[in-house]
Amino acid sequence: MSIFKTALRFIKYDKAKSIGVTSGILISTFLIGQQLGILDYLMALMAAPIDNAKAQIWVADSRTRDANQLAVIDIKKLREVRSVSGVKEAFPLVVSVASATVDKGRTSSITLIGIESPHFNGGPPSDKIIEGRLENLQMDQAICADFFDEKVFEVPIKVGTQMEINGKKAIVAVQTKGVRGFGFGFMYTTIERARYYSNLSPNDLNAILVNVNEGADIDEVVANINATVYGVKAYKTEDLRSSTISTVIGTTGIASSTGTLIIFALIAGFFIIGLTMYSSALDRIKDYGTLKAIGASNNYIRKLILIQAVLFAVIGYMLAFVLLQGFKAGVAGTGLLVNYRLDVLIGIFVVIVTISVIAATFALRRIKGVEPASVFRG
Amino acid sequence: MKEIAKVINVSKVYKTGDTTISALNPSSVSFYAGELVLIIGPSGSGKTTLLSILGCVTYPTGGEVYINGTEVSSLPESQLGKIRLENIGFVFQGYNLIAPLNALQNVMLPLELMNVPAKEAKEKAILALKKVTMEDRMKNLPRALSGGQQQRVAIARALVSNPSLILCDEPTASLDPSSVDIVMGELKSLVSANKCVVIVTHDMRLRPYADRIVYVDNGNVLTEEPKSEYAH
Ligand SMILES: Nc1ncnc2c1ncn2[C@@H]1O[C@H](COP(=O)(O)OP(=O)(O)OP(=O)(O)O)[C@@H](O)[C@H]1O
Ligand SMILES: [Mg+2]
Repeated sequence: MSIFKTALRFIKYDKAKSIGVTSGILISTFLIGQQLGILDYLMALMAAPIDNAKAQIWVADSRTRDANQLAVIDIKKLREVRSVSGVKEAFPLVVSVASATVDKGRTSSITLIGIESPHFNGGPPSDKIIEGRLENLQMDQAICADFFDEKVFEVPIKVGTQMEINGKKAIVAVQTKGVRGFGFGFMYTTIERARYYSNLSPNDLNAILVNVNEGADIDEVVANINATVYGVKAYKTEDLRSSTISTVIGTTGIASSTGTLIIFALIAGFFIIGLTMYSSALDRIKDYGTLKAIGASNNYIRKLILIQAVLFAVIGYMLAFVLLQGFKAGVAGTGLLVNYRLDVLIGIFVVIVTISVIAATFALRRIKGVEPASVFRG
Repeated sequence: MKEIAKVINVSKVYKTGDTTISALNPSSVSFYAGELVLIIGPSGSGKTTLLSILGCVTYPTGGEVYINGTEVSSLPESQLGKIRLENIGFVFQGYNLIAPLNALQNVMLPLELMNVPAKEAKEKAILALKKVTMEDRMKNLPRALSGGQQQRVAIARALVSNPSLILCDEPTASLDPSSVDIVMGELKSLVSANKCVVIVTHDMRLRPYADRIVYVDNGNVLTEEPKSEYAH
């Protein structure tokens, strides 16, 4: 019988308290995992304009920190960018916030994205198009809307649904599922029609998407653009992506609300785990005293307690993991695509084991104080 | 006769707050292989104090303690644990079986602490349980056993690692007469295996089992019976 099995017997014997400790770990783990899973989804939404467009370099107004808020730049810049060495292709994007009203439905703000036909670069990812083809956007008044827009407008959105964008007629010709940003849904149309809906002049753009020549160094091309084209700034896509996420997180208070919840989950978990293990150690104090009297070293006792703490953490974590998968499946139908990154899951595990082990020191200190001679005092 | 344990001029003073209690006055006494010694004396006389010094769980205030020739009173607690594990088996009034472990696991425990391989430990533990005729209850948790049965398992645990000294504090105080006979019979059988068994007791029923009696009276260890109510 190894010390590991002995620890397991101690856990099994005090069922009520073991359930208490495990629940503490489970609740903390679940809350932390859930918060970070949702945050991951929100961050993906924040970065959606960038991720959907799939370009290597973004060129935008020089003050841009956030791809969700792009100032107007002049179409001349597009031609200038196209002539920079290393640039294979460059295409324009119009991105503006508009107001959409569906027949017999509600009015909502949307992010309207204008893409150039006939290549439709910068359009929605093709694997997310569930009905119609992007070519349909060339039809009169055609736009692309998302399946989950139904939630906002409170009427089903399908190919053929009529709506008004900034008071001008539009008709859904392509439908995506799960294409949306942080806050607003995304609707796509041709760049000309996007200018028309948003009252922009034919010379207005919001961003230029660039792909580099085969073998060209992206950083070098970024530097080339910045050196030769004035009044705009080129960003490596990854850089704009992270600055977008940090800008949105910084301005919305999401970081502090998620952070506060995680800290509270950790503190509450720590004390539930610590106090329950302490109280369980008190129940077993005679057994620990006997172990010492027989000749168990302090090291053995320490191991016995810490193995219990780690076992609690592993069991609680595994249960929470199952619960987190259930949560993910449960909310997926609503379009909330919770995602648990592997490094986040590993990080939570490490944190949970650590707080269990630290919490076990309450019990350890109490047991350390037990004199072996106490066994003779009944 | 081989000397197993010896105390020389050993004394114990307990200090709690401003009060100091002299639990044991300087005393010397030896214990030998192949004898069952009773330590008898009134309540509060210092019997348990003497036993716990012999058992290396309490440091004496003065004097020397020898266990199988090693002077232990100057050793740190970390080494005393090892001395106890290898030389001494304990039997307590309250049985002190580890509640979450079944009889077999309790008996295996000292061997586990000595890093004996699991298979060998199990064989030895079953053998020890057979000696106290408890092998058919080895899968039971202590709470499923009667007091007498628990004490027999405790004896198996005390003898499984083959220690030369078995120390018992009131081992029969919570037992009915028939259990007393069984438990004492088992302890007595250890003597024929050349162990030294030392039993602290109030229980006059144990006298017939004794090879020798040590009296403790008001902190003094006496080899002669004092003029007191402890006479027959
Ligand atoms: N840890 C301790 N702290 C303070 N005083 C103690 C401690 N242990 C024992 N004493 C005191 O030392 C004296 C001797 O105690 P001891 O337990 O050795 O007596 P005993 O002979 O075993 O008594 P009993 O038959 O009641 O068990 C008593 O006065 C007791 O109160
Ligand atoms: Mg006593």
